[in-house]
Amino acid sequence: MNIIEIKDLKKDYPLGNTIVPALRGVDLEVAEGDFMSIIGPSGSGKTTLLNVIGCIDFATSGNVKVAGREITALDDRQITDIRLNKIGFIFQTFNLIPVLDVLENIEFPLLLMKRSAAEARKRAEKLAEEVGLGEHIHHRPAELSGGQRQRVAIARALVTNPDIVLADEPTANLDSVTGASILELMRRMNELEKTTFIFSTHDANVLKYARRIVKIKDGLIEKEPVAA
Amino acid sequence: MLLLRLSLRNLLRQKRRNMLLGSAMAIGVAILITANSFSHGISDIMFNKIMRYVTGHVAVRFNERGGVMREIFRDRQRVWDAVKDEPLIEEADEAIGTFSRAIGNGRSDNIMLIGVDTGKTLSAKALKELEDSFRMSEGKWEDLKRTDVENPVIVAEEKARYLNVKRNDTIRVRFRSMFGQDQAARLTVVGISKNDNIFMQGVVFLDRGRAKDLLGFRPWETGSLSITVKDPQKNAFALADRIHARLKPGLAVIYASAGAARRPVTALGFKTDDASKEKLKSFIKLSSGSWDKVFKKDGVILPSALAGALGVTAGGKITLAYPRKFEKTPKEAVLTVAAVCSSGCAAPDAVLLNDAGFYDLYYEDMPAAPAAGARRFSAEGPWAELLAPEWVLLKRTNNTDDYKKKYQDIARNKWKGTTIDVSTMYETASDILKMESVLNIITVSAVLVLFFIILLGVVNTLRMTIRERTREIGTVRAIGMQRRDVRDMFLLETLLLTLFSSAAGLLLGFAVMKGLALITFHPHDNPLGMLLVNGHLYFLPTFYGVAGSVLLIIAIAVVTAWFPARRAANLSPAKALGHFG
Repeated sequence: MNIIEIKDLKKDYPLGNTIVPALRGVDLEVAEGDFMSIIGPSGSGKTTLLNVIGCIDFATSGNVKVAGREITALDDRQITDIRLNKIGFIFQTFNLIPVLDVLENIEFPLLLMKRSAAEARKRAEKLAEEVGLGEHIHHRPAELSGGQRQRVAIARALVTNPDIVLADEPTANLDSVTGASILELMRRMNELEKTTFIFSTHDANVLKYARRIVKIKDGLIEKEPVAA
Repeated sequence: MLLLRLSLRNLLRQKRRNMLLGSAMAIGVAILITANSFSHGISDIMFNKIMRYVTGHVAVRFNERGGVMREIFRDRQRVWDAVKDEPLIEEADEAIGTFSRAIGNGRSDNIMLIGVDTGKTLSAKALKELEDSFRMSEGKWEDLKRTDVENPVIVAEEKARYLNVKRNDTIRVRFRSMFGQDQAARLTVVGISKNDNIFMQGVVFLDRGRAKDLLGFRPWETGSLSITVKDPQKNAFALADRIHARLKPGLAVIYASAGAARRPVTALGFKTDDASKEKLKSFIKLSSGSWDKVFKKDGVILPSALAGALGVTAGGKITLAYPRKFEKTPKEAVLTVAAVCSSGCAAPDAVLLNDAGFYDLYYEDMPAAPAAGARRFSAEGPWAELLAPEWVLLKRTNNTDDYKKKYQDIARNKWKGTTIDVSTMYETASDILKMESVLNIITVSAVLVLFFIILLGVVNTLRMTIRERTREIGTVRAIGMQRRDVRDMFLLETLLLTLFSSAAGLLLGFAVMKGLALITFHPHDNPLGMLLVNGHLYFLPTFYGVAGSVLLIIAIAVVTAWFPARRAANLSPAKALGHFG
């Protein structure tokens, strides 16, 4: 069953008086529970595609169905609800909230969902343990290494049991060893939680972790190499 | 809870910037509260430390025959009945006082001689207020009751110093009695009081009974009433209205007998203002005598039948006799008949007196009420408007301007009867309230300018904060925070900053007031000394004043923060996440 269905997705950005096409008619289907990588050079449209799938940017035209809902017709409140309930995000620069500690960062989405503080805390502690941060739960982001921060981001992305986790260049700011451990963790969580993972990268070393690879160039999906 | 935690921690994140902004806000709050408390303090001094003792919260003031200095009402019980059974009244007193020329030891000066009721047991609250306002530096209040010295008085410290008198010295005073006669008396200084306020430093206190004797009051007569009320701002107007309604006058009637045969007659006063004179002429037919004589002060009209029965004609004399209300012997008065009327004479037994002469008789020797079941006069037709009432009840007023106009009218109308005016200190001195409002407006305007500058700081700080936290806004929006929550988070930060600043401003304001109140001023004869209490500045912070100031500042800050907060909430998550800087 497909968790994402995209048909003829186009996305243009205005740049002064000109229009720059970022996506020029993307068709894509992603199966539930997949661990998929989107590869392509800088400016190819990877991030734009992830942003549209993640409901943080809007398509210029085309259809995008996420977790069974057509998102192009929804208002901001509904879109925000989808982001909260169906999607988890992992960012290249971690994007943790600096005034909250590890546990508070992880439980943050649950509190937005109005879950009880006790339930949120229990779930956050479990995930912190699973991503290997059991001993750093009261540390603030500034007190953590890059790898540890990304682990917090992964735990935060998974805390709501989302259908999809989107990771935009999750290893770009990490050294190769830490990057590998992060991808292994993502893979493990994918197997453990059965969550669909889609991550973008331009690092060929990362591809070996993906079950499916989608190559994008100049705003179009070129071909799908065979998964490693 | 989540938003509160985030907002609090974000506030602490930018400590220096928020401390600077918070300090500016705190100073603004402190200035606003200090200024507001100062202007409120001035009103309190004027109302509760001066006016309250001069007029009471509510005053029932009498002026006989329009005489401003003739503050007397001839039937004490009648007017006291109008104020009894009022649970809101704390104290009701006769305000007996007069300006006098005092001669001390080699120096003389004007004083205000005030009668105080030494026989009354004061409530603990009243006693404390009295002792707070007039502290005895020599002698004690009870000394006013002494009988071993002539007219014991307590003199204000400043006045005693000026008159060069000490305890047990004698002061000679010259003054006018209630009826305009020059009087002199000797007063013995039994105490010296240290008064709060420069305005009260010219007063000399004397037992009220002795003061009334000196001024010529008889036991059944009263001076103007000075009433203090619980929660005066709330209750004074309503109480004044109720007392006013109870003091509605009836017709002034003397049930008398005339002539040797003691023929029962009804003596009435007819009004002699220009309009009334014209009306009287229009429907009364004189069979003898003249209107000129009728309109003289001692003018009397008799109906022709009564004149016949009494055997008098115009120019003749009749003797009017009636029982007096307060004295056992009857009153007898000889009247000269100015005219005899053949029609329109009010009643067959009516003896119609010019109101000027009528009131002389009526007030000087008040008639007893007729016995139960005895005949009672009731005015009919045009007479209802033309006969003299027991007194003239002046209309209620709302402010000093109307109050002044009312007294100008008294002077213009030359009332023959006693006027009764019921007023509150808020209308007799509404200018003070106006002054407080003006002071508050000036303060608020000045502080608003300060706050405008501060609020520019709020907007600027918030803009900087939003710019610095754009990626963070993008993150929380991407995670699933709604726009409204993002906006509320920033508003809450501003609200918390303003609350903390206001709390600091309150503490600062109270410290400043305490500090300023420690400074001693020596105003001597400077009228601005009225604004001091014992030589110190006086601040009176009120709950509403403080809460109003804080709420005003919070409201301004939150409204100002609204726009940048909304802009932050409306940021596109994708753009915010892509923000660098």
